[in-house]
Amino acid sequence: MIKAQSLSRKYGDTFAVRDLSFTINKGEVMGLLGPNGAGKSTTMKMLVCYLPPSSGEAWIGGVPLCDSIAVRRQIGYLPENAPSWNDLSVIDHLRFTGRMQGLDGGTLRDRIRTMAGLCHVDGVLHRRIDELSKGYRQRVGLAASMLHDPELLILDEPTTGLDPNQIVEIRQLIRRLAEAKTVLLSSHILSEVEAVCDRMMIIDRSELKAIGTAEELAALASGGNRLHAVARDIDPDALRTRIGEALPEVTLTIDERDDGSLALELTAGDPDAPLAATLFRSVAEGGGVLLEMRPEQVTLESVFHRLTGEVAQ
Amino acid sequence: MRQVLVLCGKELRVAFDTAQGAVVAVAFLLACGFFFGNNLFLMGQAEMRGFFAVMPLLLMFFIPAMAMRLFADELHSGTFELLATMPVSSMQLVLGKYLALLLQLLILFSLTLLYPWSLSLLGDPDGGRIAAGYLALLLLSSGYAAVCLYASSLTRHAMVAYIIGFALLFAAYLLSQAAMTMPPAVQDWLRMVLPLPGYRAMLRGVIGLENGAYFLCMTLFFLALTGFQLERRRWQ
Repeated sequence: MIKAQSLSRKYGDTFAVRDLSFTINKGEVMGLLGPNGAGKSTTMKMLVCYLPPSSGEAWIGGVPLCDSIAVRRQIGYLPENAPSWNDLSVIDHLRFTGRMQGLDGGTLRDRIRTMAGLCHVDGVLHRRIDELSKGYRQRVGLAASMLHDPELLILDEPTTGLDPNQIVEIRQLIRRLAEAKTVLLSSHILSEVEAVCDRMMIIDRSELKAIGTAEELAALASGGNRLHAVARDIDPDALRTRIGEALPEVTLTIDERDDGSLALELTAGDPDAPLAATLFRSVAEGGGVLLEMRPEQVTLESVFHRLTGEVAQ
Repeated sequence: MRQVLVLCGKELRVAFDTAQGAVVAVAFLLACGFFFGNNLFLMGQAEMRGFFAVMPLLLMFFIPAMAMRLFADELHSGTFELLATMPVSSMQLVLGKYLALLLQLLILFSLTLLYPWSLSLLGDPDGGRIAAGYLALLLLSSGYAAVCLYASSLTRHAMVAYIIGFALLFAAYLLSQAAMTMPPAVQDWLRMVLPLPGYRAMLRGVIGLENGAYFLCMTLFFLALTGFQLERRRWQ
């Protein structure tokens, strides 16, 4: 549905997005993840033909970005903060958007009814938009962006500034929509992307750092195998020797605790190294007791921090 | 074309539906009434020459006020991004907004038709000159509207757009006032470039094709400039 090739955009002399290449398949929900100012919005603005790329090219449904009117017809776009015409009522806003998209008469009425129902704004159709809460405005924006039944939905931070209940509602809504559409949504909140998206891209400092499913990214970031353990009644040097003999390439750190137990951390470059089994045998053979053993869980959060070079708090 | 009309309809709706639009319209009509009544009651003349003579000054204040929010507000609130990602060209957006502004002015001017009608009850005004006056007024405001629409595309703040629009019109007004003191060659040149000499000639009843062509060119020039400015924003 989307194919981007070396997409770059400069503001003055600085790159906002540099050399971005990716493909998004039809029917997929793709998350665009990155810290604030990483270039997420700029990427989206290029894909919706709001900003022309400085270099590179992209195709939406096979149509190149330079054929901007044809590209825009295929896209439903919700900009950041869901701007809307505050002087209009919800129904007028939807009517205006629909007509600008080329809908009319019965089709327009039907689409407005369907989308208003789907986004739960049918109760506020005759209220002015500036009287609505942020959650409602976001939903009005979503309804408006889908009136012309586009193949592709591009949503820029659709849940920013919403309270937890509203976030859950919008997420459910996006999931419902995603059954029939291709969706690209941006966020700097990891759990959100994890909850909604099939695949994700991580962008940092204008560049694409990684792309894949949550599992693929986690594997990418762990880069091997790590095990935390606690043992008792065993000589640290003897343990070090035993493990060194069984698995020579493993790094072992031992930390003696006040209560006499040892906190162990085993790291191996090979993800398939049998760390747990080796440790268990070595401790048992040395006459010690193993109190705890825990393989390190690679969360998306640690992937994100690793790739964007930020320190986890 | 359909989208141009849809946008125009939305703008007209906002213009007459909001307090700001209503205040500008009422203030404009009050000011018109004042200058018309001045001539009629203080000077006892059943004619509209004074009314048409003062209109360029009035328009200088009111057209920037009507046009200021057209693009500046959209840019400020982010809705321009919605407009610019709809399947319409920048020029269609400019035309839609411009048409709305022109229609708004046309509606206000048509309300002042009450004045010539009341004159015709009181005396025997020169119908031809009044018609020429209205034509001149329409042409002048079409040019002014294009200038102020351009001013609105230059900034994200409606108040700044007002000041730019007013400054541009005021500069043109001052230049045409000062033209008389300048050397003949400069005078001729200014007469060609500035809008007011053409307007005044039309008020005197001199209506030529060149007047229409001048205001049409002025309008198209500033509309093109507005379209260009909107496109330029995407590249900045």
